[in-house]
Amino acid sequence: MVATMPTIPDRPASWNCASVENLAERTLDGFLRSVERRALRMAELATLNRDEALDVVQDAMLGFVRHYAAKPAADWAPLFYRVLDSRLHDWHRRRQVRGRWLTAWLYGDADDAIDAIAQAADANDPGPLLRLAGSQAARALDVALAKLPLRQRQAFLLRVWEGFDVATTAATMRCSDGSVKTHLSRALAALRRELEDYA
Amino acid sequence: MNEHPQWTSQAKALLDASAHDLDAATLSRLNRARQIALAQQRKATPRWFIPAGLVSASALLLLAVAVWHERAGSPHTHNAVTAVAATADDADALADDDDFYADLDFYAWLDAQDQDPPG
Repeated sequence: MVATMPTIPDRPASWNCASVENLAERTLDGFLRSVERRALRMAELATLNRDEALDVVQDAMLGFVRHYAAKPAADWAPLFYRVLDSRLHDWHRRRQVRGRWLTAWLYGDADDAIDAIAQAADANDPGPLLRLAGSQAARALDVALAKLPLRQRQAFLLRVWEGFDVATTAATMRCSDGSVKTHLSRALAALRRELEDYA
Repeated sequence: MNEHPQWTSQAKALLDASAHDLDAATLSRLNRARQIALAQQRKATPRWFIPAGLVSASALLLLAVAVWHERAGSPHTHNAVTAVAATADDADALADDDDFYADLDFYAWLDAQDQDPPG
């Protein structure tokens, strides 16, 4: 889903310094409200821990406000997710430095291990999630997404969930359009395989 | 048309639901995180910056309008336009005069015809 820009409230009767500041703050507040839940879910899928995910989201909000709040509101969504992506990479690096084998297993660079073209799914196939019902499907999807390498998961979430186009996703992830397509293709193949195994 | 495989629509719906159904404690913490970020923004924005920016923008706009108005309504500009128009009229008149002088014989004959009583 594309993050919807908050509508700018009506101009107040007395147009003074405080009102201008309030308007800017309310617009920023509305934007952060519109992205915070999805940001938390993204962080949670990366960290597998809600507390750590909340910390990452708070860092992302602070970083976004510090560096990009003055940018046009139309650019905020990709910029916010760029900061979030950066914070997730930082978190991932810290975990690797700590040498937790589980993290290395879950987030190791498996990008090269999959022949994505050979496993590309038929777009008209209803797919593996239909065989799973309700909470089982949600759980299966969470597990499958958590197993993806960070870049593949981000490409999937930004392209499929946020609805960003390839160029915006590439700018958000700071990589080329081609890399986004490759990451997404591999993510789709891996998710499909994982969900079919789950069913 | 959806460019992704069909099953991704269901995945998207599941993700939407998971984001929508967050518990109250988590929402409260998200709210707190947001308020901290906004408080930082309040500290970072100098209070004089916004009114100063508005005043500067207004002054620039007024200046631009004044300059434009001055140029549009300038007597020199008006005279120049009038002079150009007058020159064009004179040129037309002169061209007409040339025709007039070329046909002097014809006008003289016409005059003579008018003065001679019909025979």
